[in-house]
Amino acid sequence: MADRYLEVVEPEDNVATALRDVEAGETVTVAVGDEQREIEVVDDVQFGHKLAVTDLSDGDTIRKYGKSIGNATEDIPAGTWVHVHNVESNYGRGDLAADGEGGGDAAASAGGD
Amino acid sequence: MGEFLGYEREDGSVGIRNQTVVVSTAPYANDTVERTAEIVKDAIPITHPLGRCQTKPDVFQTYRTLLGHATHPNVYGAVVIAHAGEIVDGDELAADIAETGRPSASINIHEEKGVMNALDEAVDAAREMSQAASAQRRVPVDTGKLTFGINCATSDTTSGLCQHKATAGAAWRLIEDHGGRACFAETPEFFGGEEELAERAVSEEVRQEILDRVAGWDQRLQETGYDVRGAQPTPDNMDGGLTTIEEKSLGALVKSGDGPIQDIVDYAAEIPDHSGMYIMDTPGHGAESVTGIGAGGAHFMVISTGQGHTLSNPVMPTIKVTGNPHSAERVPEQTDVDVSEALVGDETIDWATDQLWDEVMEVVDGKYTLSETMGESQFAIHRIGPST
Repeated sequence: MADRYLEVVEPEDNVATALRDVEAGETVTVAVGDEQREIEVVDDVQFGHKLAVTDLSDGDTIRKYGKSIGNATEDIPAGTWVHVHNVESNYGRGDLAADGEGGGDAAASAGGD
Repeated sequence: MGEFLGYEREDGSVGIRNQTVVVSTAPYANDTVERTAEIVKDAIPITHPLGRCQTKPDVFQTYRTLLGHATHPNVYGAVVIAHAGEIVDGDELAADIAETGRPSASINIHEEKGVMNALDEAVDAAREMSQAASAQRRVPVDTGKLTFGINCATSDTTSGLCQHKATAGAAWRLIEDHGGRACFAETPEFFGGEEELAERAVSEEVRQEILDRVAGWDQRLQETGYDVRGAQPTPDNMDGGLTTIEEKSLGALVKSGDGPIQDIVDYAAEIPDHSGMYIMDTPGHGAESVTGIGAGGAHFMVISTGQGHTLSNPVMPTIKVTGNPHSAERVPEQTDVDVSEALVGDETIDWATDQLWDEVMEVVDGKYTLSETMGESQFAIHRIGPST
């Protein structure tokens, strides 16, 4: 029976939103579309925060609502807390524009990953 | 088609409140405005730091925002207080208010030879309006006359999963069942979801306009030379679990539902008088976006919040809804409607929508919102360029 307090919005998402406080070491069952996925929780994840429901590599697209919410900035194994320490945005990146790397182009990145 | 009890205006609009506002045209009139409103029962002050030494695009925006509030459907009459000769002209503003059939008065501190004389005049003018407003009665009006404002505030990850769905449900009920209008805003909070949003536009022209405005905001933010994170998402958003502006946006867009978008209008512009869902191009800054929608003429606003918020407006009642059970418990004074049972309990989103709709209709008929019971209101006009 999947944990109703771990919500994955769309089947292609790779993060779940915790609607309860989740503790490191728990084994949880997450419904990802029709699939029931068993995951070992790596970090404490507080109410409202997210955990990975699959193994992610540095640079991978983080998906929620079926869309990109940014990119992993390091390898993120399943069960790991996913937040500002390991994900970066593709928008409003004046820091990248200033470095001459070019910021996220809104129209281009929206349709992509 | 339902009915509500409202105040009919000469200009054809209908109010859900009957307020006397005292409006400042420049920072140097703010104190006199505040003092006038303190003395006169039911008078509401509208103050701001602008109206002087602004470039033209900002002058137009400041003027439009002040006029929009002073001629809001919920406003009976307005007293305008100016400091001296300003680029936002008090006499012109009072004349434009009078054109809508509302009582208006223009008072100039320099011309009155000082603050005490100006205060005397302003109090007299405001008292007369307040008393006349109190004598006006509500009458039954078609619910389709209403405009539903939508904004989020201190969003968290519960927002897009629960309360935003109820908000969308209630807004579309007004549009589809009653022929009303709704308006949401906060363009930078479309980042990451703009393609899908733009596809909902009723025309190719509107579709392209949405994409252009979103790209314009990204450009404006990149020109700062800094990463926007910290400003978007905000620290309280991040505390609530939101990681990037894209995640915040995809959740934020849930509050607009998935029906057609009629148009995207300028900041503080009048929301068009045709049934449907509209966008106002505003920043994500809540006080500024709510002020923009207030100027646009929304009768009330549902503020769909994750962590709770004091956000409110001088003339447009704000109904706060949350689906976060912790917030509902922590800030009951900011929770008009608690729909958390639809997120962590056994209730459905349809139930949550009904809860919200019922509260909205009571507020429309005159029930105070929690913000109103505490006399809260904020007013912040979005700026375009520099002061001069």
